[in-house]
Amino acid sequence: MTSSTPASFTTGTADGLPETEKNAGESENTYILRPIFQQRFRPSVVKECIHAVLKEELANAEYSPEEMPQLTKRLSETIKDKLKEMGFDRYKMVVQVVIGEQRGEGVFMAARCFWDADTDNYTYDVFMNDSLFCVVAAFGCFYY
Amino acid sequence: MVCCGKRKVTQEEIFCSPCLPKGWQRRTKDDTWKADDLRKHLLAAQSGIPKEDKKHREKKLHKESEMDLPENKEPKHRDPDRDTKYRERPGERDSHPSRDNPHGDRDREKQRERKKDSRDRDKERHKEKSREQDTEKSHSKGKDRGDKDRDRRARREEPRQMAAHHNLLGRQPPDRAERRMGAVSKVRTEEKERRDEDPERGDEERARRYRERKLQYGDSKDNPLKYWLYNEEGEKRHRKQKEPDRERKHGEKSSTRERREKYPKEKTNSFSDKEGEERHKEKRHKEGFHFDEQRRQSDPDRRERLSRDDLEKRESKSSEHRRRGASSRRDPTGSREGPCALWYAENLVRNNGRDKDSRGKHSREEGASVWKLAPKHGREETAEVEKEDFDSESAGADEYTACFEDDFEDYEDDFEVCDGDDSSEELEAREKIEELPLARKKEIQEVQQAINAENERVSELSCRLAQKQGPPEGERDSKTGAHGSPPRTPVCGIFVDFATASRREKSRTQALKQKMRSTRLLRLLDLDFSFTFSLLDLPPVNEYDMYIRNFGKKNTKQAYVQYNEDAVDRDIQTEETETRGVWTQHPAEGAAASGGSGSGELCDVATAPKVDTPRLSSFLRAACQVIAVLLEEDRLGPEPGWSPGTQDGTLPVSDRSSQLNTRLPFLQNRTVLCLCASRGQRQMVVSVHGLPGAPFAPALDDRYVLCVWDIWQPSGPQKVLICESKVTCCCFSPFKAFLLFAGTVHGSVVVWDLREDSGIHRYVKLGDCFWTLRTATFSTDGILTSVNHCSPVQAVEPVSTSVYKKQSFVLSPFSTQEEMSGLSFHVASLDESGVLNVWVVVELPKADIAGSVSDLGLIPGGRVKLVHSAVVRLSDRLSHTCFEFWGATQTLNVKFLPSDPSHFIVGTDVGLISHGTRQDLKVSPKLYKPQQPGMRPVKVNVIDFSPFGEPVFLAGCSDGSLRLHQLTSERPLLQWDGSTDGHAVIGLHWSLTRPAVFLAQDDTSCIYVWDLLESDLGPVAKQRISPDRLVAMTVVGEAEKANGSFLALVLARASGHVDVQYLKRTWAAPVADELRKLQLLLREAL
Repeated sequence: MTSSTPASFTTGTADGLPETEKNAGESENTYILRPIFQQRFRPSVVKECIHAVLKEELANAEYSPEEMPQLTKRLSETIKDKLKEMGFDRYKMVVQVVIGEQRGEGVFMAARCFWDADTDNYTYDVFMNDSLFCVVAAFGCFYY
Repeated sequence: MVCCGKRKVTQEEIFCSPCLPKGWQRRTKDDTWKADDLRKHLLAAQSGIPKEDKKHREKKLHKESEMDLPENKEPKHRDPDRDTKYRERPGERDSHPSRDNPHGDRDREKQRERKKDSRDRDKERHKEKSREQDTEKSHSKGKDRGDKDRDRRARREEPRQMAAHHNLLGRQPPDRAERRMGAVSKVRTEEKERRDEDPERGDEERARRYRERKLQYGDSKDNPLKYWLYNEEGEKRHRKQKEPDRERKHGEKSSTRERREKYPKEKTNSFSDKEGEERHKEKRHKEGFHFDEQRRQSDPDRRERLSRDDLEKRESKSSEHRRRGASSRRDPTGSREGPCALWYAENLVRNNGRDKDSRGKHSREEGASVWKLAPKHGREETAEVEKEDFDSESAGADEYTACFEDDFEDYEDDFEVCDGDDSSEELEAREKIEELPLARKKEIQEVQQAINAENERVSELSCRLAQKQGPPEGERDSKTGAHGSPPRTPVCGIFVDFATASRREKSRTQALKQKMRSTRLLRLLDLDFSFTFSLLDLPPVNEYDMYIRNFGKKNTKQAYVQYNEDAVDRDIQTEETETRGVWTQHPAEGAAASGGSGSGELCDVATAPKVDTPRLSSFLRAACQVIAVLLEEDRLGPEPGWSPGTQDGTLPVSDRSSQLNTRLPFLQNRTVLCLCASRGQRQMVVSVHGLPGAPFAPALDDRYVLCVWDIWQPSGPQKVLICESKVTCCCFSPFKAFLLFAGTVHGSVVVWDLREDSGIHRYVKLGDCFWTLRTATFSTDGILTSVNHCSPVQAVEPVSTSVYKKQSFVLSPFSTQEEMSGLSFHVASLDESGVLNVWVVVELPKADIAGSVSDLGLIPGGRVKLVHSAVVRLSDRLSHTCFEFWGATQTLNVKFLPSDPSHFIVGTDVGLISHGTRQDLKVSPKLYKPQQPGMRPVKVNVIDFSPFGEPVFLAGCSDGSLRLHQLTSERPLLQWDGSTDGHAVIGLHWSLTRPAVFLAQDDTSCIYVWDLLESDLGPVAKQRISPDRLVAMTVVGEAEKANGSFLALVLARASGHVDVQYLKRTWAAPVADELRKLQLLLREAL
């Protein structure tokens, strides 16, 4: 009746706390409130990346409840790593991977964020084949 | 855990504090004594132990001095030995806590400075430590018991121990006494003694101070100093700890070392005593008894002193070491033991080198005798002892080398072991535990469990703390903890506490910083809730789709084929338009409101419509007239045979002509007596036919026939009237030609109502057709004989209503306006004798088919009758006025003035025209006379007033003269005498279309056309009608229609034919300003 949906979260900072922050704390604010334009979180690019990963990983994947937890973890890790490589400076990435079995049930999945819409963004991609569906949502939160 | 990392060993020595709980926790696992540690521990122990040794030796000395018997020595010797043990134990017990507490105090001080929070925990830890120490003691006791000898001894000693406790406090005075005694009795070199005393005193003092401090919160003199020392070292440590990795390693090693130290400390304390004992024994055996005492006294002293010196030296050295270590740590080997070990090794080699010869046999024996007793005692002990020995030896005391020779081997062994295996110690410890009796074991286990639980709690707490500070914090801490916090050396829990404290401090500052940052940032930012992103919306698949998905695809394959792709076909299609007639009508005509080609039958179904009969009949009457006219016109063309004569008969004065059909059977052979045209309806003409020349029908042969014609319907008469008497004159009602009046030769006036139903008249079939022959509606024959005409009626004239306007309301028995207008007129009839009767035409409201009793002369069913109104006898007037001698004058015709119907003129046969009124009023010209004076027998045949309202009239006379009279003048305006060549004028008619034109007819059947504007001298045209002689003539015409005006002459021939001659346009069409020109002409003529 129900398809189990293993999900896994992976969080990672693309960039840790900058060392200068410690010193700068007292004297004067050097907060970076907006990302450099080129390093903005671009959903389209990220989506492409996710899509590529999904396509590669799930090309002929079959749903099996035992493997899915590892698969989700692996996927989230790989995607997170790839996103880190893409150079979204000072962005904290959250990658959520949900894989469920396609059995004809209706599925609705939604996300809601409390964030700074100017800097933060998200994207998602859905992969589906006959036996499973995979939803990957990637959230990029700017680390000021 | 690496909490006790960088603690210097020297510090441990100085404070000799029990290990940290953390250190304790894992002691069992990695307890291994490093040579370095051992040595240091020994040094630390010396400060306490030698004291007791001394004391106990002193006591011994006392006893020995008292007894002085070598035989008794053995047993007595033992006793004091035991005593010392007793004393020592409590001393140990005391000293440990005392030692602990000062340290704790110092720690506390430091903590107070750094962190006051952790004090409680520290206390707890101290308690734990003390507890652990106790267990350690028991442990060591257990070990002791492992030795049978000692077990036995212990049993023996137990009762004494109790007593010894009491002596604890009062130990010092005897000590001093001993010292003094020793100084007196046995004097070795004074220097030595002096040297010995100082350290001793120092030791004692220190012990005292500990005690004192214990009592009074432990503020001592040396505290500041030590604290200072400690601080320095701490600072050094801090500085050094900036190489994290190595430090950590060191920390671990040192911690293990220190832990190990603690463990054996107690052992050594106890063992050192035993060893001391043993040594004493040995010495006693070997050396002489005398020497024994000496040695005893000096030995501990010196040892103490040495140890003291050593300690001091070593402190400095170790600090040097530390410094060196800091530099040497940079080399990969990096272990702090290295230098120490080397140092020891050097010493060892030196000592070995020195002592090797003397070592010889004894070492084996003693090793067998002494060490076999406690084979499991651990090499630590021996190592410690040997270290002690080393130190003392290295200090330069060679006398005792022999005593310590045996130890060296063991030490070497131990040294090796210490350098190498860590686990061996652990194993040993376990073995020891196994050797313990069960009850003991249980005890130990319980205690251990308690310890573990406590440790767990603590670790949990710290873990939680770390978690609170966050993972990155924790990581950082693990890194920075290395430098920031003092090394977690087991020596003091302080440092761990400090570490956590500083960690906490750090985390707090960190948190504060982050908080600041967040608040500042939040001021600059504003967060908001995003929309709810729908990531996936997968609708449920319905059952059918599911089925198809699962099974539908089996054995099926989708294929597409397309052929003849390029065959393009173009076509244009135009179809014939289908038409159909459909009609509809509103309001519906019966049941059929619509119809068409598809439903043609509907028309036939139409039922008989409701008929408004009177309306229909009136409509039909009008319509049939129109239709008849049209038919007549059509018939004229295609019937050449019927009207060839008319074509031929067109007169030169006329454009065209038509012939009324007088070839009717009842008109055969009848001549026309007269013609009369209606003034109201110009196309209506009545012809009066005389008796037929040949008999035709018996019913009609003796009757006169009148035919009412419509000139537009020449094919037949509209009505056929019959009259029994000869009609001499006739006229239509003035406005509508529905009444026909006629005067007969019998003097009667006859009226025909043309509206009457044909049913009340005779219906006669003549020839092929049925004819209705109407008899007169009313006739004055036989009635009103008093007023009626006695002579033939010469003229009948309608008197127009306009004349009688004033009277009309008086004489209006008629209901309807139409009838009023139609009937509000009088009829005047004039006979030859000059009687002018005026008749009122009365229409009865109701027809009486049966006939009226009162209204004689009225046809049954008729409604119109004449009522005599007035009678004017003209003969009297004429005779009176001017014709006195003429007998009776004959009146021939009468005309009423159109402008004033009460006036009339009467033509006479004497050539005069009389002017009179109905009321016998005087009129200005009584007579209108011709231009010729005198009376002449000239009949005025015709008189005609101008129809255009001009006050002029024409008169035609039998002498052929024409006169144009003005009403106001007696004499005529114009008179033409010879226009007709003397032929009598029998007809004279003004043109109805042109005021200046008139037509005249003479009795030679000639027609004259006069146009006064063209010529006032004679007729402009003259037309002789021949061969068919003209009998009668009348004029019909209409001027109203601008272009359709016509002027026609209706001519009755002698043959009985009647034809209509349409005059030429020149005489018919009016000329501009004709009337004015005429008036001008008439004025000129005056």
